Amino acid sequence: MKFYLSYFKLRFISGLQYRFAAITGVATQFFFGIVIIMVYLAFYESGDANTPMSLTELISYLWLNQIFYSLLTLEYKDREIIEMIKKGDLAYELARPKNIYFMWYFKILGQRLSMVFLRSIPFIAIILFLPAPYRLSLPASIIHFILFIITISIGIFLMTSIVAMYNVITLKTMDEKGITNIFAAVADLFSGGFVPTPFFPNFLQTIGNFLPFKYVCDLPFRIYSGNVTIQDGLFGIIIQIIWTIILVSLGYILTKKLLKRVVVQGG
Amino acid sequence: MKVYLKAISLHFKSAIEYRASFVTAFLSQIVVFFSYYFVILSLFNKFDNIKGFTLYEVLLCFAVIHFGYSFCEVFARGIDRFDKLIINGDFDRLLLRPKNVLLQVLCSDFDPIKLARFIQSLIVLVVALLNLNIEWTILKVLCLLFMLISSIVIFFSIFVISACYCFITIQGLEIRNLLMDGGKYMAQYPIGIFKKGFVIFFTVIIPYGLVNYYPLLYFTGKSNNILYMLAPIFVFLYLIPSIWLFNKGMKKYSSTGS
Repeated sequence: MKFYLSYFKLRFISGLQYRFAAITGVATQFFFGIVIIMVYLAFYESGDANTPMSLTELISYLWLNQIFYSLLTLEYKDREIIEMIKKGDLAYELARPKNIYFMWYFKILGQRLSMVFLRSIPFIAIILFLPAPYRLSLPASIIHFILFIITISIGIFLMTSIVAMYNVITLKTMDEKGITNIFAAVADLFSGGFVPTPFFPNFLQTIGNFLPFKYVCDLPFRIYSGNVTIQDGLFGIIIQIIWTIILVSLGYILTKKLLKRVVVQGG
Repeated sequence: MKVYLKAISLHFKSAIEYRASFVTAFLSQIVVFFSYYFVILSLFNKFDNIKGFTLYEVLLCFAVIHFGYSFCEVFARGIDRFDKLIINGDFDRLLLRPKNVLLQVLCSDFDPIKLARFIQSLIVLVVALLNLNIEWTILKVLCLLFMLISSIVIFFSIFVISACYCFITIQGLEIRNLLMDGGKYMAQYPIGIFKKGFVIFFTVIIPYGLVNYYPLLYFTGKSNNILYMLAPIFVFLYLIPSIWLFNKGMKKYSSTGS
């Protein structure tokens, strides 16, 4: 365990080096946050037929989405592990007497946490004090806030197990551009990264309920904004935990199986 | 032109050599692109208009912007990835050859996988047009053509201008991306739905509004102002400073590679 933690620490610290990227990252998120909110505002001002979320709930959701974007996105970005597989550096990793799946796991975790750590604190400070409709509201209640902290923590582990799964798929297919990308795009869509899931057409909402993706960020954000009752929130947390356990075990077992017949690439 | 076509066909052949990989990558682009207009589709599932614009009007706006952007992503990819040319030092090689440099940059890369986006934006365009009740006149046909062509022109110019940026420094490309992607994101919607300041910025400084918003007003009959129909033509003026900047930057360029 100590080994994995130091691996995590290493990634975390090297992630903190990229301060300039962090500043531009904040600018980007701020701009996109404002623009996306303006789109929704325009819709809300054009008549409210049957909105599944109130405007304040929605705006909290959208801001949280921007704050935690680099942490929780299910987009597929980390090419390092893929390069490792393709170039054959995988052999070095295999030579180490440690489990490769958990090494991946903590690497992703460290990278992601360092990104959000740098960006989110100044960002939250700004958006809490924006003028009226654009402001990030405080959590619905103190209980909602506590639940939010719990779900988002579990959500981080769930995210990591999904992203680690991309590596497992790539290990199998050796082609990161195709199948892994499709998988990542579908995951991203169902996670609520583009549109909050309550806005989905009904049949997609039903499908989404049977997939793990919306438990990564959609659930925590809706708990924060008060769009989900405390009871439903608690129920969601249980499902989150179950999915995390399933995905980690699946990833662990598949990696072990695939590595038995892996062909080291490169020379 | 002949040189360019030759280069493109070579790139295309090399891409389809790995057939399975090409097909899955192509499919993945379809899925990724779908998520872009999924936002519009699901929001119109709950609302029936956005500031008076209907679903198909917004989709038309969306399709026009992505038509031009994906066209440039496919055919002008060399310029889009100009920073890579500079970082590798490969750009120096191009300078040695007795051909137009910009043309060579264009020939240096081609991305057939992004054709998936181009084709899909054409499909969205056709679907939008079929569902809008347009009283077709010659002027409206012209208007649509202007929109499509100016969309290509604007992204081409922006690609060239951001390539010029790489002559000075290759740091901080994110800010460049912010202006381009942020503006592109906004231009997916009729730009008039945003606040005044944004509208002015994206009409005068980076004229996305001239590409799809003003002509759209004319095209859908919301306005009879003939100037709106001609708005896309002004976008062509954008080419002049961008190519001038490129040539100027090239003269100042000092190599980075080894």
